[in-house]
Amino acid sequence: MERMEIELTVNGRKHTLYVSPDRTLLEILREEMNLIGTKKGCDDSNCGVCTVLMDGMAVKSCTILIPQANGHSITTIEGLERENSLHPLQQSFIDNFAVQCGFCTPGMILTAKAILDENPNATEDDIREGLHGNVCRCIGYKKIVASIEAVRDGEYKESCGEV
Amino acid sequence: MRFDKYFEPTTVEECCKILKEYGSDAKILAGGTDLVPRLKNKIWRPRAVVAISKLPDIDMISVQKDGLELGAGARLRKISMDPSLEKDYKVIMEAAGNVSSMQIRNMATIGGNACNASPSADAIQGLIAMGAKAVIASQDGTREVAIEDFFKGPGATVLKEGEFLQKFKIPAPKAGTGAVYKKFAIRGDTDISIVGVGCQLILQKDGTIEDARISLAAVAPRPIRATEAEKLLIGKKLTEELLNQAAVAAENSCTPITDQRATADYRKKMIGVWTRHAVEEAAERAKNKLNGN
Repeated sequence: MERMEIELTVNGRKHTLYVSPDRTLLEILREEMNLIGTKKGCDDSNCGVCTVLMDGMAVKSCTILIPQANGHSITTIEGLERENSLHPLQQSFIDNFAVQCGFCTPGMILTAKAILDENPNATEDDIREGLHGNVCRCIGYKKIVASIEAVRDGEYKESCGEV
Repeated sequence: MRFDKYFEPTTVEECCKILKEYGSDAKILAGGTDLVPRLKNKIWRPRAVVAISKLPDIDMISVQKDGLELGAGARLRKISMDPSLEKDYKVIMEAAGNVSSMQIRNMATIGGNACNASPSADAIQGLIAMGAKAVIASQDGTREVAIEDFFKGPGATVLKEGEFLQKFKIPAPKAGTGAVYKKFAIRGDTDISIVGVGCQLILQKDGTIEDARISLAAVAPRPIRATEAEKLLIGKKLTEELLNQAAVAAENSCTPITDQRATADYRKKMIGVWTRHAVEEAAERAKNKLNGN
């Protein structure tokens, strides 16, 4: 079908794409922009591994048509790393062993970022409520919640900077 | 997933024209959380997808003196967190906040939750409890339908070809109004409701129930009102016995099915339990309102 012009800001860089509107944001990120950190899991908006931030809000990119993202700003897992250091959440997930197979991790970290950006004092309950849409089938959620709590408590401020 | 045409109309007239032209070959895109999976799984194969996001005021959340206007494209998460709704429209926030996960609520819209017409839809339960009207637009102008008459069955609504849902009008609550929505699901919001009960009570100063609305989710082919239970409550004061009677009446008014989430029997029993909870809490809130809290 006829392609349309889509403007996307991805991880701070502006892109103009000519793509068919019947493709999803996830497909465009992975297949056209080679940002394969964002995973494709259930492809039905249940599992949450495809979570990215759209204008700072966590969304499931597998069920967003690319025109719905037109003009918006997208952050993927690749956009969190800073010069010489990982994002506090990334470092915390490593240090707290919150990763086993790692497939859910990009989605978990971006959801965690959305939770903490919105409420820097999120309680354990808030964090667990926020993570409802992200499924981990390896290690359970204890370590993941602990990693997010560590960042909330400022443990990574010195080594990695602000969230 | 394949469709031939993608439209983003910027006026209601333009939108109606496209819908008229394509008829049943057009599907409306709001948040996409229900539409896109269905396109991908080829359950629907429309020729045209019509996005309503560019229509004027489609995402408005506007509290006015005589009521609340909610655009069909208002995102569920925005509704669930909007401080201007806290005072009079808390049940609308609660019901919207009970749908799925944060990521889904960030995209999904209140109009989409209605048009998808799932019997277990949560967000619309707040609208039913508060007696909302759906405003439907077409080339011939607009018409209004009471929200509980909007649904015809699973996935079916009163929308005709060439029409679309534009907004909801929710009347401002009278003094002494308390409303609540209770969702019962195993895994919280993310899960689909086993049952859901919405309730709005208007209490007089002496505690007599002036008006009652009880809506039930996931126990009939469409969202239903427990009218027998409502009739029992109206004109009386809330007692333990009356509460029991209302709960039984609500149980008897539903016709649930057995599926992977629960059996029909269990659903019926749970309607009794959750009707009690909902009526009690609505009464509590109404009392607080009367006392000026």
